[in-house]
Amino acid sequence: MTKLLAVVKREWMARVRAKMFIVSTVLLPAAMVLFGVAPALILSIDSGNGLRVVVVDGTGKLFSRLKTSLQADDAADVDATVATRANRIAAGRRSDFVLEELQPANRSDADVKAQLENRLRAKEIDAYLILPPDVMQTAKAQFVRRNTSDLISTRRIRDAVDAAIRTQRLIEARVDARTMSALGRSVDFETRRISSGGSERDVGDSFLLVFVVGFIMYISVLLYGQVVLGAVIEEKETRIAEVLFSSVKPFTLMIGKLLGVSLVALTQLAIWAVAFAGFGLFGVSVLASRGIPTRLPSIPFHFYVYFALFFLVGYFVYATMYALIGSVVTTTQEGGQAAMPIIMMLVVSFYLFLPVSRNPDSPFSFWISMVPFFAPISMLVRIVTQTPPFWQIALSLFIGFSTVAFLTWIASKIYRIGMLMYGKRASIPEIVRWVRS
Amino acid sequence: MVITSNDITVKVDHVSKSFGDFTAVEDLSLAVRAGRIFGLLGPNGAGKTTSIRMIVNITAPDSGTIELFGQKINSQLQDKIGYLPEERGLYKSMKVGEQLRFFAQLKNVTGKDAQQRIDTWLERLKLSEWKQKKTRDLSKGMQQKIQFISAVLHDPDLVILDEPFSGLDPLNVELLKDVVLNLKRAGKTIIFSTHAMDIAEKICDDICLINRSRKVLEGSIREVKKSFGRNSIALRVEGTNGNLATSNLVSNIQHHSDEVEVLLTANANPQDFLKELIASGAVVTKFEMIEPSLHDIFIEKVSETQ
Repeated sequence: MTKLLAVVKREWMARVRAKMFIVSTVLLPAAMVLFGVAPALILSIDSGNGLRVVVVDGTGKLFSRLKTSLQADDAADVDATVATRANRIAAGRRSDFVLEELQPANRSDADVKAQLENRLRAKEIDAYLILPPDVMQTAKAQFVRRNTSDLISTRRIRDAVDAAIRTQRLIEARVDARTMSALGRSVDFETRRISSGGSERDVGDSFLLVFVVGFIMYISVLLYGQVVLGAVIEEKETRIAEVLFSSVKPFTLMIGKLLGVSLVALTQLAIWAVAFAGFGLFGVSVLASRGIPTRLPSIPFHFYVYFALFFLVGYFVYATMYALIGSVVTTTQEGGQAAMPIIMMLVVSFYLFLPVSRNPDSPFSFWISMVPFFAPISMLVRIVTQTPPFWQIALSLFIGFSTVAFLTWIASKIYRIGMLMYGKRASIPEIVRWVRS
Repeated sequence: MVITSNDITVKVDHVSKSFGDFTAVEDLSLAVRAGRIFGLLGPNGAGKTTSIRMIVNITAPDSGTIELFGQKINSQLQDKIGYLPEERGLYKSMKVGEQLRFFAQLKNVTGKDAQQRIDTWLERLKLSEWKQKKTRDLSKGMQQKIQFISAVLHDPDLVILDEPFSGLDPLNVELLKDVVLNLKRAGKTIIFSTHAMDIAEKICDDICLINRSRKVLEGSIREVKKSFGRNSIALRVEGTNGNLATSNLVSNIQHHSDEVEVLLTANANPQDFLKELIASGAVVTKFEMIEPSLHDIFIEKVSETQ
């Protein structure tokens, strides 16, 4: 036990103290924030004032409605979601459009168009919109602008025209405003599930969390699989293995390495979790102070236990695969290539999300959730959709952890023999013979 | 000399080990006596390292048995062995002190006890001021001494040193040699593997020479040399140099700078040869029986079995 702890401690200390660890702990979330926020920020950059649009309203009834919907200030924007409203509050954004109405008076269409074309060319305006008098029937409008690549504002204008015409039609059909808003209300879609116990519960949050768990597992394996690989190869490259093997059993060494590196991963995840929770609480309180309601996800407690257990199974199954590869190869580069299939398996296990969630109780789902490489995600999907009998969950966990132990044992066997043959990569038949010996 | 079993620290009995088609060790038997320095000698690739690995329980023999301290080898016994492999390796980015503490823990030596031993050993090998330095900042010789410390830190009863002196400067060789002799004085058994015969000759009590995976020779240094007792004489004479070869007692003569080495025929008595010389009127200024050096024995034996 002293020996195992010594190995675990060394692996942990060596990595947590490394500059790489500190840098990645800080930079990874920063990079994620950057990738998450930067596109939104860039898209929201206003390259100038609002789009200046001249509207020729042949019907004389649509312009005011268009103007309110496009230039609407946020308070009046009833349909805006909490998120977009929060965004706008944050950005303190002004209106994106400046609308101007042009009365055709008695001029001919061609005249009006020519005048507008001139103004366009003179860059006095950015676009014009012609709504012919019969637009209510033909639903044909003309939108001309200098820059046609700005798809977003073009679509917003189209949607606004669309809505204005629809509303106008309803008004002309003598539908009153209350009926109108009642008819227009979108469906409030609430997903509920019936568990075998008969209680009802919202699936949405749990489902999302399965994704989150899967994602964290994916990230951890991606980041730390390589580290496990490197840790296993380290003693081969530095030739310390021989001294170590004169003191510890290879199995102890292998377990120690796996645990040590995994504790590093957990340390990093914990740092991120605390930071994330801190920011989250801060964010919630900011939103709350602005009167925007937020709520905590409603997930039963025992789900969290399953999430944790299956995360561990998943992480260790994949980490052990990396250890196994590390025990066979002689250099880190070689190991990186050999590790490709592992990533593939992880991706496949993500894709299995769909068929399993569609039919969580099918034999297919059952078998998939018993395969240790796929179990973590697919069993979690089954648990949050139609919780399978406990024995199935227990069996899946048992198979998973047994696989980890078995793979570690094989890896340590290959490791011991392989490391004594410096610089020579083992062939498959050789490996089989080592494992059997 | 009768050897009783409790005198024996390591007993290797008809051990063989092969890797695929390659036979690394074939039918090796040897006994390492307690409290002595045992030299495991042989050219590169003779099977020394494989033999040692089996003794340390890193690899298992294909056939035959190995006993340590009267027990069949097992992982518990590993804590009683200190092993300095020929392949040198340390964790480069660890501090010297931490590194030694780690290796001590692997041998179940922890806490204050470990700390104290580390300090004592660093002091003894003149490395105290390097304790807080990272290993990669140390010279190769220093790293080798650190690794030596890691092999003896847990006060093992059996110390196995594979080429411990290679790459060290003469000063450090002397330093380490004293340390090894001190270990012997403290009652430790030492297996010392090398192909540097001059050092082996100076410190080994017993030797075993292996070549091409087989044992060629075994015994105490004195016995071995005796059995190699060639009739060789270092001679410096004035007057009769030319006539030496005519004596029927002489089988070979080698001329060195200011003396000759005379190899007498197998049954010749050196005293007769001396009489002959004096009778011939030569002035003998040096007449010395030469013991064969380990070096000579090594070369003769190894080229014999080549």
